[in-house]
Amino acid sequence: MSASVTLGPPERIPGHSGTEPDGRPGGAYVRRLARSPALRLAGRRLLIAIPVLWGVTFLTFVVENALPGDAAQALLGANATPAEIRAESIKLHLNQPLLIRYWDWLWAALHGNLGNSLYSGQPVGPIIAQRLPVTIDLVVYALVVTLVISIPLAVLCARRPGGIIDRTIMALCMAGLSIAPIVLALLLLQVFSGYLHNLLPALASGTGNDPRDLTMPALTLALPLAAFYIRFLRADLIEQMQSEDYTVTALAKGLSRWRVLTRHALRNSFIGLLTVIGLNLATLIGVTVIAESIFGLAGMGNELLQAIQHRDVPLLEGIVLVFAGFVVLVNLATDLLYSVLDPRIRHGRSGS
Amino acid sequence: MAAPVASLALGVPDADPAATQRRSRTRGLLRTLEITVPGAILLVLLFFCFIWPLVYPVPSPTYGSVLDASLPLWSPGHIFGTTNVGYDNMARILYGGRTTFEVAAAVQVIGLVVGGLLGVVAGYAGGIVEAVLMRVLDIFIAFPSLVLILAIVDGLGQSELHVIWALSAFSIPAVARVARAGTLRLRDQPFVVAARLSSVKAWRIISGHIVPNLMPQLFTFSLLGTGIVIILESGLDFLGYGIPDPAPSWGGMIAYGQTVMSVALSPLVVPSLFLFGTVVCLNLVGDGLRNRWGVR
Repeated sequence: MSASVTLGPPERIPGHSGTEPDGRPGGAYVRRLARSPALRLAGRRLLIAIPVLWGVTFLTFVVENALPGDAAQALLGANATPAEIRAESIKLHLNQPLLIRYWDWLWAALHGNLGNSLYSGQPVGPIIAQRLPVTIDLVVYALVVTLVISIPLAVLCARRPGGIIDRTIMALCMAGLSIAPIVLALLLLQVFSGYLHNLLPALASGTGNDPRDLTMPALTLALPLAAFYIRFLRADLIEQMQSEDYTVTALAKGLSRWRVLTRHALRNSFIGLLTVIGLNLATLIGVTVIAESIFGLAGMGNELLQAIQHRDVPLLEGIVLVFAGFVVLVNLATDLLYSVLDPRIRHGRSGS
Repeated sequence: MAAPVASLALGVPDADPAATQRRSRTRGLLRTLEITVPGAILLVLLFFCFIWPLVYPVPSPTYGSVLDASLPLWSPGHIFGTTNVGYDNMARILYGGRTTFEVAAAVQVIGLVVGGLLGVVAGYAGGIVEAVLMRVLDIFIAFPSLVLILAIVDGLGQSELHVIWALSAFSIPAVARVARAGTLRLRDQPFVVAARLSSVKAWRIISGHIVPNLMPQLFTFSLLGTGIVIILESGLDFLGYGIPDPAPSWGGMIAYGQTVMSVALSPLVVPSLFLFGTVVCLNLVGDGLRNRWGVR
């Protein structure tokens, strides 16, 4: 990394060139972006996403059909006679071979039809459309809270590594990394709804329209993530301050340490942070299942738990597809932003 | 170059050597304590979970009298109290901890062996092998881990073994990624190139040169991953998709604690503290070893 950095006049130092506009017209910038490797990179990543999404749906389908019990049994209950179950499974096309059922599902899904829920009989698309906004709100809220917490704290830590502030924040981060989301959620519940006399309601109204409903679930997601980001950002900032030529130059020119940290090093660290956000998203979505279940939010996570309970394969497939597609898209977006933010990637090698 | 730059950036004044030495000695002691104290706590916990029930008549975790139901903390004979059907909470903590450690260890060993092998082979072979292996692992990584694990456990049926399989689907790709990155870094190192030029066989280079050099990194990575596995497992138990019911598990105990939290906090607090303490200790040991061995 440091090998490609040349010491020169400040204009040529990476991190400055992309951010100082020097009268660059907007249209030219867009045109340059369109010709850049970033768009080719986007195309390639989209092509890679197809087998990933296919694999995810196929895996879910196979795994969900491995167990003897099926949706017909789950639907009719334990008292159903074998003949009733047989009739129901013929009605639901469950008597056909696995691969044929998968092909039927896939073909319909490619035409934008995710099928009907086996349990409620309603089309999967509208069910998801109703539940998805709650989960998206939750994830976005959590990410905003995470960044608002972690960026200032990481800068405070990096200002004086090993100092009392740094040590305190690091200890808190260790606690945040080690706490299970179920424990954290119940702790928040006890504090906000118990000790603080229902400052935040224990059970959400379910719709997720009231931001107060989303606060505790979002904190459940955000606090462990913030601990992770603080540690990451702090390590990166300290490394930038110690070993990168551009920070040493800026310090040698007499800029204050604080200014170099916040104006120069932090900007470069954002690039690394962006990749980490993309990578963490899959884990974050997993935690939404727990948070939604504990706080009774009617989002995708709760729907997923119900779909699993009812062996409702089409609904489960739809949810899994949306989750995986979401992760793939966000990773693609971070890759693109990455190449926009870092001129070395935009002009150099087209990422591997 | 590196040393003056570091001191310039850090602004550390050159104090008298005696003070520096004293400081470095206390710092060294602190760094040792950072590893040994949580390590010792973990060992004590392991002792109580695995050996204590063999030498001391711990009550059964799944048998109790209704007469002893819902005893509070510090009751005689049941120091952590009992559940609403009279199971001894202390026994449930110990046996639940046993399951937790068994699952976590099995998952990480599977992850290390399978994931490590896949990653090293992919990194060393390159080309089509690497592309195919990494795409398959990408499927698992793009997948929200808890969703995948829930689907697998539900599909296979609930049992400790199936929880292990499901969680391995999370640990294998993670280790494989790290192993591949490490192999790519090592592949062009002079000593590996020298071995290749003197026509050492590929599997000997992998087993004799690459794997030993990757070990510290993979070991600390999976030690830190163990905490995540324990957290994921507790989440599964909590949602009712983990260790099947009468058998004790920390996550299941927390789920029970939630149902009675408006009446008594101890059924919730005790397993939560054990869960938190275990993961903190694992993370501290992992962090300490990582700093000591200088791996990232």
